Amino acid sequence: MRRVFTKSFLLVIALFCASELTVRIFFARSMSGRFDYGYHPTAGFQENADGSVDLLRTGGRRFHKQHFQKERPAGVFRILVIGDSVPRGGSPALAYSGQLAAQLEKQGVRVESLNLAVAGFGAHRSHLVLAKALDYQPSLIIRHVNNSNEYEDEREWRRSQDFKGWHPKNWLMKSLVLRRLYEMKTEKVFWEWVPEKIRAQASLNDADAQIATSLDERKVREWQERVRKFVGEDVAACRARGVPILLVAQARREKSADGKFYLDDHGLDELTAGFKAPDVAVVSMKQVFAPLDFAPLFGDGAHLFPKGHGVLAEAIAAELNGWLLKKN
Amino acid sequence: MSFISWQYAFLLTGVFALYWQLAWRGRIWLLLATSYFFYGFWDARFLALHFTTTIVDFYAALAMGRQRVAIGKVAAMTSIPAAWLLLCKALHVQGHDVSWEHLLPSVALPVIFCALYSVLWRLPETKQRRAFLLLSLASNLVVLGFFKYCNFFAGSLVTGLQTLGWDPGWTLPHILLPVGISFYTFQAMSYTIDVYRGDAKPVADFPLFAAFLAFFPQLVAGPIERAHQMLPQFQTPRAWDTAALHRGARLILLGLFKKVFVADNCALLASHAFDPKTALDAPWALLGVLAFAMQIYGDFSGYTDLARGSAQMLGIKLNDNFRLPYFAQGPSDFWRRWHITLSSWFRDYVYIPLGGNRGGAFATLRNLWLTMLVAGLWHGANWTFVLWGAYHGALLILYRLVPPLRAIESAKSGWRVPLGVALMFALTLVGWAVFRCGSLAQLGNWFAAFAHPHVVDALPWRKPALWLALHAVPLLVIQFLTRRKQDEVEISAWPWPARGVAYAAMFVAVASSAGGDVDFIYFQF
Repeated sequence: MRRVFTKSFLLVIALFCASELTVRIFFARSMSGRFDYGYHPTAGFQENADGSVDLLRTGGRRFHKQHFQKERPAGVFRILVIGDSVPRGGSPALAYSGQLAAQLEKQGVRVESLNLAVAGFGAHRSHLVLAKALDYQPSLIIRHVNNSNEYEDEREWRRSQDFKGWHPKNWLMKSLVLRRLYEMKTEKVFWEWVPEKIRAQASLNDADAQIATSLDERKVREWQERVRKFVGEDVAACRARGVPILLVAQARREKSADGKFYLDDHGLDELTAGFKAPDVAVVSMKQVFAPLDFAPLFGDGAHLFPKGHGVLAEAIAAELNGWLLKKN
Repeated sequence: MSFISWQYAFLLTGVFALYWQLAWRGRIWLLLATSYFFYGFWDARFLALHFTTTIVDFYAALAMGRQRVAIGKVAAMTSIPAAWLLLCKALHVQGHDVSWEHLLPSVALPVIFCALYSVLWRLPETKQRRAFLLLSLASNLVVLGFFKYCNFFAGSLVTGLQTLGWDPGWTLPHILLPVGISFYTFQAMSYTIDVYRGDAKPVADFPLFAAFLAFFPQLVAGPIERAHQMLPQFQTPRAWDTAALHRGARLILLGLFKKVFVADNCALLASHAFDPKTALDAPWALLGVLAFAMQIYGDFSGYTDLARGSAQMLGIKLNDNFRLPYFAQGPSDFWRRWHITLSSWFRDYVYIPLGGNRGGAFATLRNLWLTMLVAGLWHGANWTFVLWGAYHGALLILYRLVPPLRAIESAKSGWRVPLGVALMFALTLVGWAVFRCGSLAQLGNWFAAFAHPHVVDALPWRKPALWLALHAVPLLVIQFLTRRKQDEVEISAWPWPARGVAYAAMFVAVASSAGGDVDFIYFQF
């Protein structure tokens, strides 16, 4: 009589079990990231035995690669910038975090500015990055406040919670081997070989859903309150650790019906102004850019060209000179 | 419920476990209940249509076999679709609405069918069988025609009238296409035609007939089975067969590999290339159609493998639907390898009744072309599908009329074989472009793209080409290695360690591509 389980089937099972066991014993540390969707508080920060820290991928997205010492060097003003793709910029040097450091260096301040911004991160994920960043003795946290990523934040949060459950659709990915292979294929092949435009087309349904949801006024109000809640928690966390925080309120370049550009803060000026205190400063992009010929400084509706980053860095430096650096 | 959903994995496992514990009758009822649940998972309202087809064809076939049923019983059975819709309305099943317009035809069904049933029984015996066949065919074609083609023909008429300068101002209704309607109506029609011809005996056991027509693995996208091959498998208890179980499991793994790894990943590139907004140059036009060729093959043959594998686990053997179609040496060869059950359906029920090759050379070519035209239209209510059918009809004619092409197609060895395969593959790609383009204007743009080696706005194509190769080559390798068996699943002759590694690689390929939830292309037909 034939056996129900063939030798080849048993070989598959043996190969799978052996590789899973090997990965769980030897490579478990590298198995984080995508499936935490950025909600793992330590995702993206790799603390090394020599006391240094490397910034890596977090939740399937990447920090700019940076390296620093966990202990802030004596006499150094350490600035950590947290937010989404706008403060992230093209590179740490070209973004306002780097340009701010360059300006302050010219004033004789020893500055270490680290860019912890990740594209697509909304209030919740930025809050988790901030909570971890406070471990690295910042002299100042710059929190770039935006409210256009809440749909994605909420969706990713829901997915991460789903994944933690034992729903059958997640069963395959409970295996570290399969999860790692999935990540590798996604990040090393899919992202490298398939142009972004095609990837975006493939997630058309998500984009459609995002547009549909963003037209729902009730949902938009909910998101605004969600941003307010997490920024409040950011401020409280910094206050509890004695770290000053500067809130940068995002403004978008919009086009009116007659073809003229104007700036819209989408309620963020009002939201951030409510947190102003001796240990909390606020810089409004709308107020910074409105007096200027701002249109050429924006690459698109939200993102700035390096020159625009420079303008923002100047405004932040001016704020710091009248605030923290004046005291020093 | 899709074959690649976790719900289906649970459903099949549960049915498999229970099925082999039950006696024969219990298995029939289990298959019937599972099939209706499976179909109703999409939209329970459309089960009413399936009930209608089942009931009408059941009584029409019985009548052709001279078995008369009491009119009260017929009336009671034909009331089932209306009762089902009323139940859906009362329970507001799946949040779908059931309007009175939906209910009206199903309420009229018992009245009309019982009246016709009584009238036809009064006809002379010589005319009776033909009349019941026509009743069955008419009911199937009316259902199919209304749901699938009503808007297409009405829309074409409106457009035609508008072109002539007269706008009739009609507002066309929004008609949902019931999933798999083309497949199960064709299977139902083949049953009544076979009974009429004497190739199959009418089934007097209603649950058994209903289970045959609704058998869940092949309900929504085939293979389109014949009554004389399928019904005996339902009528006799199936014995446990470990070899069939192994083959079923292999088919399921291969089906998942084709669908999740090959088709869904190639679909990314095909969707981009055939998006009307895409800036298309020659490399992308070629890459897009190659990607679509792999997508549609992986998608449909993957579905078939999953269907055949699921059925084999329940001891039911379904027919092959694909035999390495891209290795075809000519169009006749292609249609013996691609969607075989549909090709043979059209051969037996359209081409041969039209006269086949019995009326001389011209009539044969005309019949071929007409059959392919209808086969094209079967795929969808769009002129591009008609054009696709006409194109393949023209290829069949061309290969018959041009002796060198005929020689290439019929070659058994030598240089003509690879030449024939390459030429037919190129011609198939042109056909897929016709099939995939949403409009004739888009098709024109696709052809025009070959005149532009590079367009400024076109995306780089080299890395996407690697993506296509990564997902297409493994399948082509399996095809090449199993070409003598003409069936990719036949790797059983390999040494067991090689088979184990191949299965593990396929499983890993599927798992590393999981996450998407892309419907099967042929569900829309």
